[in-house]
Amino acid sequence: MEPAEVEFLAEKELVTIAAQFSLDRIHLIGGDLGPFNPGLPVEVPVWLAINLKQRQKCRLIPPEWMDVGKLEEIRDQERKEDTFTPMPSPYYMELTKLLLNYASDNIPRADEIRTLVKDTWDTRMAKLRLSADSFVRQQEVHAKVDNLTLMEINTTRTFLTQALDHMYKLRTNLQPGESSHSQDF
Amino acid sequence: MAAAGGDSNGDSDSEEMLLTPAQLIHSLEQAWLNEKFAPELLESKPEIIECVVEQLDHMEANLKRAKKGDLKVSVHHMEIERIRYVLSSYLRCRLVKIEKFFPHILEKEKSRAEGEPSVLSPEEFAFAKEYMANTEAYLKNVALKHMPPNLQKMSLLKSVPKPNLDSFVFLRVLEPQENILVEPETDEQREYAISLEEGSQHLIRYRTVAPLVASGAVQLI
Repeated sequence: MEPAEVEFLAEKELVTIAAQFSLDRIHLIGGDLGPFNPGLPVEVPVWLAINLKQRQKCRLIPPEWMDVGKLEEIRDQERKEDTFTPMPSPYYMELTKLLLNYASDNIPRADEIRTLVKDTWDTRMAKLRLSADSFVRQQEVHAKVDNLTLMEINTTRTFLTQALDHMYKLRTNLQPGESSHSQDF
Repeated sequence: MAAAGGDSNGDSDSEEMLLTPAQLIHSLEQAWLNEKFAPELLESKPEIIECVVEQLDHMEANLKRAKKGDLKVSVHHMEIERIRYVLSSYLRCRLVKIEKFFPHILEKEKSRAEGEPSVLSPEEFAFAKEYMANTEAYLKNVALKHMPPNLQKMSLLKSVPKPNLDSFVFLRVLEPQENILVEPETDEQREYAISLEEGSQHLIRYRTVAPLVASGAVQLI
């Protein structure tokens, strides 16, 4: 899966905006939105929030967790624990990137937030590499990967699953030609 | 008693009759992700595709009547583009798999029992057959007919690789399952059973969970 596709999925998450226009309810295929009144908060999917923001038609109200104090706590917790801690949003990385890129003027202390999320991400990736390594070494066949987000899974997916497939093939010693080329996807 | 989840069949499929449009889009997205990550071609979902296309056509017809430059219209257009992307990515993904595994898919189709649902939609079936015929004709014209007569036969079934059902997949559990047997990787290890709790995420071989993917009890991620 392309990282852009993970971002595409993240864009379905809801965020709150304060609209600068008025508009009745919109009946989208995926559900109703609005009504929009100037200054009043309303929930919309991220893809719409970014579009409206680019057209300077709204002000973004950052998600509750996108806050220096909260993110510091999350980062420290992540560094303290050996396992993956639950993240405030299943798309925390993508949302941080999207919202900070397009609406950093509406997010207080944007640069610090960027750094904190990146630190948390780095800690988690280091854990992910460690646990992938032990998974492969101990020749496990099942792992629980709770609390891993889609973007995190996606960064390690191709490498990990292909490595496991190759090792399995070497171990089970399949005859060439039978299914030895089935993995060059 | 606990249901043996490991061999549950996809016989709950006929439940998805009355969906709201939002649920419909959601099931399209689920089908898209499952198809993207499953090593083999999954059962086709003609009813979902049909309904989504209908929704899109309906919405576009409505938008033609609306006045241009309206903010509302542009929001609708954006949503349509997003749904259309998922739909075409899903169909494209299926075509890639058909091109990759066509002899095996057609073979399975041939041995399919009466009444059992096909993994191919009628259009995909036509495509697969044509692709097979063209590949055979091409190989024949380019190489085989120049070979000595005893070497002019080749079996696509034997020369095209099969989908690797032993590959690993990531999944999220939608409906809890118990007693899923996990086969050991090496001879020294023992087979053991795991339970899949709702909402939990796992990394496991596709073969172990293939029936659960088909029945919708787990979502590949």
